Amino acid sequence: MAVTLKYPFVKLEAPPEYRGIPHIEPRLCIGCGACVNACPADALLKIDDHSTGTRKIVLDVGRCIRCARCDEACPTGAIRMTRNFEVATLDRSDHVEVVELRLHRCPNCGNYTDYTERALEKAFQILPEGLFDKEELRKKAILCRNCRRKLTVDDTIEASREVVG
Amino acid sequence: MKLRSLYIFHLDTGACNGCEIELFDVLTPYYDAERLGVRLAASPRHAHAMAVTGPLTRQTYYAAKEAIKAMPPKPRIIVAIGTCACSGGIFYNGYPIYRRPESPREGQEYPRRGGIFELVQDLRDEGEYVGPVVYIPGCPPRPEEILYGVALALGLVEKRAKGEHYTEEAGFELPEYPIEERIRLSLRERLKYVVGYFDREGILRDFMELAGKAESVEELHRLIEDYCLRNPDSRISLAMRVLEREFLRLKEKYGWEVGMNAKAPQGEVRGVQVAVKRDAGSR
Ligand code: SF4
Ligand code: SF4
Ligand code: SF4
Repeated sequence: MAVTLKYPFVKLEAPPEYRGIPHIEPRLCIGCGACVNACPADALLKIDDHSTGTRKIVLDVGRCIRCARCDEACPTGAIRMTRNFEVATLDRSDHVEVVELRLHRCPNCGNYTDYTERALEKAFQILPEGLFDKEELRKKAILCRNCRRKLTVDDTIEASREVVG
Repeated sequence: MKLRSLYIFHLDTGACNGCEIELFDVLTPYYDAERLGVRLAASPRHAHAMAVTGPLTRQTYYAAKEAIKAMPPKPRIIVAIGTCACSGGIFYNGYPIYRRPESPREGQEYPRRGGIFELVQDLRDEGEYVGPVVYIPGCPPRPEEILYGVALALGLVEKRAKGEHYTEEAGFELPEYPIEERIRLSLRERLKYVVGYFDREGILRDFMELAGKAESVEELHRLIEDYCLRNPDSRISLAMRVLEREFLRLKEKYGWEVGMNAKAPQGEVRGVQVAVKRDAGSR
């Protein structure tokens, strides 16, 4: 009886539990960087460019040890382990997957913030209904850190003036 | 030059032995790499290719250099087996790992540096010829992955891996779920302590379906009991029950009035609630 596998000449599927390389689904990724913090091998990178207003989430499967911690950490399920294992290559740049997202821009001062537009949308989705006035919150939440601080201080001064005067 | 057969010398540059075990598997009759013309050579002087495992420690650096220099001048193919050999792997920033001065441990470059690349680059700088490097990532790569990599070096298979660069053009989706997103994320986090990543999404999806269907707490409880009876896997039943308690606890905390499906408990179902509180304290 022939026991030898026919593999590379026939197609072969890995078992369902097999941890192949991870893959980022770009439609779901919000660029939050949770996977980057979780990755023990630094296979994931978060590279911000404040001059062009982009954030790159970089996955290098050539550094990935397939521990699935990114899969566990991702709040949107964008990065998932796949069963794909045929990733040998002669060119390391074949291993790199980049998701480039736009950073949110403060409408007041025009500077780029430290989070993406998508992350902001996600944050609004997580807010519980009925606890906040969403419209009011939205007005403030879209500002960058400095503008928000300034607005808060200005509002407080304004309010205290009314009380005093 | 088209190679018909490949004599491989195996070089360990500080691997954890995981990759070695897989490499030896490849030579067993089940995977039988010899049918591709691959043989292990006893000395680098007889080898076309060098199968390298490990992250290239400082201790092995000089020996590895000598071994590669001892190979015949051509073709000198390097087969980097495992994530360690490809890029340093989990040991990427360890103190005993050899890195060239221009490849810092805490860089933001990609593809990520480290592993056998550092030595190959040093040798090329010295004017030594080193042939192509086949990178086979995995920690460890399964025997099929090594076979695929070797077959790729021999030109028997097509390359499948391809780098991707996605931008905002790919589109954006923010999926909606039957329960509030805030509660879904909390449940997901709680589930991390009960089941692994593999079953988690499926269990959570089933739970959300039941929670979306249920009109009241009693009905939710009944649906979950039904589900657990139908499902013989005790891990999944346990996870479902943990989810139910956590769901009720969160609802109690955030208030039943805000965007919920299952209605607030009426009167006599407080038994569940008491159990919930006790469980929450013990974690
Ligand atoms: S954790 Fe998920 S959503 Fe966040 S950056 Fe990583 S892949 Fe994207
Ligand atoms: S599986 Fe582990 S090593 Fe690989 S990218 Fe995810 S967190 Fe990093
Ligand atoms: S790639 Fe993983 S299994 Fe292979 S030597 Fe490195 S740590 Fe060990």
